[in-house]
Amino acid sequence: MSSIYINSKDVFLDTVNAKDYIQLDRVSTIYQSLKDSIKKPLKMILLYGRPGTGKSMFLTKLYKDLSSSQDVFLYQTPILDENEFYKTLAQDIFTTKYAGELNFTQFMKIVNSQERDTIPVVLLDEAQLYSEVLMEKIRLISDTRTVKFVITLHKTEKEDLIAKEHFQTRIWESIELENASNAELKIYIQKKLMKANCFDSANMFTPKSVSTIYRITNGNYRDTNKLLYTLFDLYATYEKNHQTQSTNQISSKIIEMAAIHTGLIDA
Amino acid sequence: MLNTHDLEKRWLRYKIKSYIPHFIITLSLLVIGIIVINFTSTTGALKEQKQVLATETTLVQKPITQELSAQKDIITREPQRVANTPQQELHFSKNNAKVQLSPSLDFMKKMQHSSHLYYNTREAQEPIIVKPKKQPNKRPKKRIMIEQEIEEVVIQEPIVVVQKKKIQINRQNTQNDIFEIIKRFKKNNNPALSLFVAKKYYELEDYHQAYNYALITNGIDKNIESSWLIFAKSLYKLDKKAKAIKTLKEYINFSHSSGARLLLNEMKAGKFR
Repeated sequence: MSSIYINSKDVFLDTVNAKDYIQLDRVSTIYQSLKDSIKKPLKMILLYGRPGTGKSMFLTKLYKDLSSSQDVFLYQTPILDENEFYKTLAQDIFTTKYAGELNFTQFMKIVNSQERDTIPVVLLDEAQLYSEVLMEKIRLISDTRTVKFVITLHKTEKEDLIAKEHFQTRIWESIELENASNAELKIYIQKKLMKANCFDSANMFTPKSVSTIYRITNGNYRDTNKLLYTLFDLYATYEKNHQTQSTNQISSKIIEMAAIHTGLIDA
Repeated sequence: MLNTHDLEKRWLRYKIKSYIPHFIITLSLLVIGIIVINFTSTTGALKEQKQVLATETTLVQKPITQELSAQKDIITREPQRVANTPQQELHFSKNNAKVQLSPSLDFMKKMQHSSHLYYNTREAQEPIIVKPKKQPNKRPKKRIMIEQEIEEVVIQEPIVVVQKKKIQINRQNTQNDIFEIIKRFKKNNNPALSLFVAKKYYELEDYHQAYNYALITNGIDKNIESSWLIFAKSLYKLDKKAKAIKTLKEYINFSHSSGARLLLNEMKAGKFR
C-alpha cells in the first residue's frame, strides 16, 4: 500500500511520450482522420487547439506510428534560426550535410534535385513560435510537393494565421483538438492508472470526484495531469505522516487542496 | 514534500470564502421569505376582517330595513324594542352606523314637515341615547378595537308618539260665512280678512262689494297688491274700464308690479275676462 500513491503520482508526470497515449473514442476518431489526411496528396495539415489538449501527444503518436512505414521527421522544439532550420531539414530529409550557411535558395535547389518515391512528412510542433517569414518559406517548400508538413499551433495563433488568405488556401486539412468531457476525463484517468497497474487508485475515482476534477480543470489534459500528480503527492505525504485518509474514494477536500497548490484554484 | 498543514489552512479559507455567497443568498432569501409571509398574513387578516365586516353589515342591515319599512308612516317605538337595540348595535361598524343613522334623519325631516305637534311631543320626551354595550371577549383583538371605535358613535333615535290628526277643511261659500268673517274683521280690523271678503265677493260676482272691501283693505294697507288688483278687476267688471286702467297705472308707477302690468296689458287688449 505504501507505493500505490507514489506509483499513481508518477503516472501523471507531464511528459510527452507516445506510450502514454490514451485511446479515447473521440480522440481515436480524430487521430484516424489525421492519419488518413497524411495519405492524401495534401501540402499542409494544421492541428490546432488550446494548450493542454494533447497536440504534442498527437504528433508524437503520429510520428511513432508512421516512422515504421514512411519517412517522417518530428521537430518538437522549434528551430527558430532560419539557416539552422534549412540545414537540419537538408540533413535529416535529404542526408545532405552542409558545413557552411544554407539559405532558402540553396535549400530549394536541394529540394528540387531530389527524386523520391514517397513524400517525406515533417511534423512541426509549436509552430506559432516560427516567424512569419519562415512560415511563408515553409509554405513555399510545401508548394513543391516534395515535402509534406503537419504543423501544430495554439488556437489563438491559428486564428491569426489562417486569417491570411494565401495561407488558408494551402491548408488542405485542419483538425481541432478539444478538452475532454466529464465522461472522457474519467476514462482518461482510469485508463492511465490501469495502464500502470494502479487498479486500487483507479477505483477511487468515483463520478463525484471526477466531476470535481472536471469542474476545476475543465477537462484539460495537462491541468488534469498536474492536479492528479499533486493529489497523489498529497496522499503520499499524508501516508508518510501516518495521517490516515479514506481509500474508498478520492476526497474532494484533497482534490481542492491539490488545486490550490497547483494554482488552479485561487484561494 | 508538501506542507499539508499550510494547504489545509488555505483550503479552509477557500471553503469559507466559497460559502459566503451561498450564505448571503440563503440569508437574503430567508429575510425576503419572512417579509413576504408577514405581508401576506397581514393582508390576509385585513381581507378576512373586511369580509367579516361585510357579512355583518348585510346581516345587520336586514332587520333595520325591515324595521324602517314597518315604521314607514310614523315610528312608534315600544320601550322593549329600545332595550333590544344595543344588542344589535354591538355588531355595528362605522359603515353600519351610517346605514342606521340615515333613515332616522329622514324620519326627523318628515316629522318637521308633518306638524308642530311633533316638536311639542319631542320636547316633552327626552331623547333616548342608545349606547352599545361591550361584548364579552369572544372576538380577536382587532375586532375589539373597531368595536371600541363604534362605541363612540351615539345613535339618537327619539321615541315619539305622534297622534295623527285629520284636518277637515270644509269650504263655506255662503253669504252667512262671509258675514261671519266681516264680523271678525269689524272686531280686529285685519286687512287679511277684508281682502279675503273682497276676493270672495269677486268670486261670487258681487263686484260692488268686492270693490268696497278691496278699497277698505287698500285703505288699511296700501302695499297689498291683491287689494289693488281686486279693486281694478271689480271696476273693469262694473264697466269702468278707463278707471280700472288708470288705477292700475297709478299702482304700477309706485310699485312696478309685474302682476299689475300683466293685468293692465290684458285689460288694454280687451283680453281680460
